[in-house]
Amino acid sequence: MDLFKLSYYPFLAEAKEWVREQGVSVEEILSDVIYERARRRAIERIEHAILKGTISEAPLTNEVDCAMEIFSYPIARMIAVSFENEYVLRRYALAEAKKAYERMKNEDMQFIVHIAEEFGMEIKNDAIHFSDYLRYAPTWDMKWKLVNRDLKDGYVSVAKQEIARLLQEAIRKKIYDELAYLYAPPEIKRVFYNDILRLRSKVVVRKEKKIRGDASFPDFPPCIKAIISAVKSGKNVPHVGRFTLVTFLNAVGMDEDEILKLFSKSPDFQEDKARYQIEHITGKISGTVYSIPRCSTIRTWGLCYPDERCKYVSHPLMYYRRKRK
Amino acid sequence: MNFLRKKFYSYYLHPSIKFPHRVERREFAFVLFNEQSMHRHISFSSKDGLLNYLKTNIPAHVYYSSAYYRNPSASTMQEKKWMGADLIFDLDADHLPNAKEMNYEDSLREVKKEAIKLLSFLIDDFGFSKEEIEIYFSGSRGYHLHVSNSKVLELGSQERREIVDYITGRGLSIEEIAREKKIYKGKFVDKTIEICPQAGGWKGRIAKTLIKFFREIRNMSREKAIEELMKIESVGNKMAEDIYDALNDERMRRIEEGKLDQATAFKKIVKPLIRKLAISLHSEADEPVTADIKRLIRLPGSLHGKTGLRVTEVKIDEINEFEPLRDAVVFSDEKVKIKMLKPFRIEMMEEEFDLKGVAKVPEYLAVFLVAKGVAEAFS
Repeated sequence: MDLFKLSYYPFLAEAKEWVREQGVSVEEILSDVIYERARRRAIERIEHAILKGTISEAPLTNEVDCAMEIFSYPIARMIAVSFENEYVLRRYALAEAKKAYERMKNEDMQFIVHIAEEFGMEIKNDAIHFSDYLRYAPTWDMKWKLVNRDLKDGYVSVAKQEIARLLQEAIRKKIYDELAYLYAPPEIKRVFYNDILRLRSKVVVRKEKKIRGDASFPDFPPCIKAIISAVKSGKNVPHVGRFTLVTFLNAVGMDEDEILKLFSKSPDFQEDKARYQIEHITGKISGTVYSIPRCSTIRTWGLCYPDERCKYVSHPLMYYRRKRK
Repeated sequence: MNFLRKKFYSYYLHPSIKFPHRVERREFAFVLFNEQSMHRHISFSSKDGLLNYLKTNIPAHVYYSSAYYRNPSASTMQEKKWMGADLIFDLDADHLPNAKEMNYEDSLREVKKEAIKLLSFLIDDFGFSKEEIEIYFSGSRGYHLHVSNSKVLELGSQERREIVDYITGRGLSIEEIAREKKIYKGKFVDKTIEICPQAGGWKGRIAKTLIKFFREIRNMSREKAIEELMKIESVGNKMAEDIYDALNDERMRRIEEGKLDQATAFKKIVKPLIRKLAISLHSEADEPVTADIKRLIRLPGSLHGKTGLRVTEVKIDEINEFEPLRDAVVFSDEKVKIKMLKPFRIEMMEEEFDLKGVAKVPEYLAVFLVAKGVAEAFS
C-alpha cells in the first residue's frame, strides 16, 4: 500500500509497521520540532472527534504530508488515553471508525476485501461469512437482520458499501479495545497540557447539556413494562425487545446514561457495545432517530401483552400519552 | 435400591456415552434419584472420571454445559471464565403449535419433521457440513442438534439470537425480501411483487415454495383449487376464485419468472407460508437454548430419568428411519411384573400395549412406565 493510502487508514497493521520502521522514539515525536505538524494534527483529530464525532480532512499533497498524517495517529491515541475519560475514548474510537467508513465507501472492492481480511472477515464472491456478519452488523435495524438477508452456504450477500459499514464497527471495536490497554507516557500530559485542559472543559459542558427526562414508569404500556422487568431481572431479552425499549425510553425523555444503567443487569452486558447500540438508536451517532415500533410490529415479535387500554391504541406512545393525560 | 436405580446401575456399568468435545473444559450437572436439586459445578479431568461418577452415583439425569470454561467447576460465571460454546438447538414437542392435541408417538413424529426442516436451514443456509452437525433424540419429547464449528464457538448471545430469529422466521420483513413494483399505465397502477427463486435465504425459500404452490393449484380442478386456496386464513371465496381464474399460461409464466401480479393475494398467502416454513423452536415462555451461551444440555448416551430411554445419536442420513421408541431403548425384553397406577396405552418396539391393573411387560417398558410414574414395580 502506498503512503497516501496508508495515511487514510493509520490503524492498519501496515501503518503501524511503517511507523515502527521509521525508528522514531517517543521522546523525539513529542518534542522534536520536525514533528510539530504531526502533534498539531493529533490534537486536531481529538478535537474534531469530541466536537463533531468524526475526523477532519487534512490536505495531503506529498509524502511528508502523509508521514505527518500517519504519525499523528499514534500521538492522538496517547492523548485520548490521557484524558482518563470513558466518554473521550469511546467518542474518539467511533470518530476514527466513521472517518474510515466515509473513505472506504469510495474504495474498490478489492481494497475493501483486503482491509476486511486484516479484521479476520471471510469474504468471497461479494458475500461474507454469517459469523463475521453477525459480529458487526447493526441487526436491530430490519434491513440488517439476518432473517431478511440472502444467506446461502454460510455466506451473506453484501454490497461493497455494506462491507464498509461492517468494517466501521470492526474498526471502532479494535481501536477502542486497544485504547483500553494503551500506556500513555506522562510527558503527553505536559506537552499537550493546554489543549487537554481546553478540550476537557468542552467534554464536561457537553455532558451537562443533557436534560433529564421525566419518564413516568407507571404510565408505560404493558409491553414496555414487561421488557423492563425482564431486563432488570437479568433475563436475556431479544434484540427487538431491547430496540423497542430504547426507542421508547428515548422518546419519553430518558437520557442515554439512564437507559444504559437499566441494561447493566443483562447477562451479556458490555458497556461499550450497549452504549454504542443505544446511541445509534437515539440518533446520537447514526444521525437517524429510530422510531418506536408500532403495536402490530411488537405483536409479530411476540412481545405484546395487552391490557384493557391497548384495545384503543395502535402505538405504544399513544398508550403512554393517553394514560398521562 | 429401588427398581429404576437398579436398572440404571446395570446400564451405567457399561454405558455407551458419546463424550462431548474437550470434556475437561465442561461443567457437568446431575440430578440423583429421589432428590429435587441439581448437583452443579462438577468437572472431570478425564472421561474415566465421568464414567466412574455415573457408576457410583447412578444419576437420574446427566447434563453438561454447551460452554467451555477455563475453570468449569468454579461456582460463579466470573470465576468459571467463559471460553466459547457450541451452538445447540433444542426441539421439543411441547413447543409445536398443536402439541396438546397429539399423543406421545405422534408428537415425536411431528417434532422429527421440525428437525429435518432445521437440518436444511443449517446445511443449505448456514453452510454447516454434515460432519459438524450431530443430532440426538433427547430421551423424552424432542431432538437436540449440536453444531461444533470454530466460527460459531465465540458468538455471543445476541448473535445467536439472530440465528434463532432466522430459523423461526422472527422479524422477517416481507418488504425486505419481496420488492413491490408499481407500474403506471395511464390512470391505472399495476402492482407487481418481485420474488427471486435463485436467491438464498428466506427470499429464495419463499419464492420457490410460492412457485410450487401455484403450479399445484394450476394442476387442480377449479373446484379443488378454490377449496385449497380457501384453506388459507383470510382468503375468501371471491379471492380464491379470482386467484384461480387469473392463473392462465401467461400468468403462470410470469410467476415462474418471479413476478406476482396480484399483490393483495400474495400478501395473504405469504404469511401462513412463512409460518409453515419456519421452525417451531420455542414457546413464548421458554428461552431458546440456542441463544443461551451457558446452558446445560443432556449428555449423549445417558439415560433420561423420566423415561429410561437413552439420549441417542441419530445419523443425519438415517433420520427418516429413526424410531425413538425402538432405537433409544436400552433395556431387555425379559418379562417384569408391574402394577399400573392408571390405564396406559403405548406403542414401543413396534408392539402395541394397552395396560391396566397388574401386568407382565418387557423390562424396557416396565422401566419406561415406572420412570413416567404410571406404574409401580414389585420388588
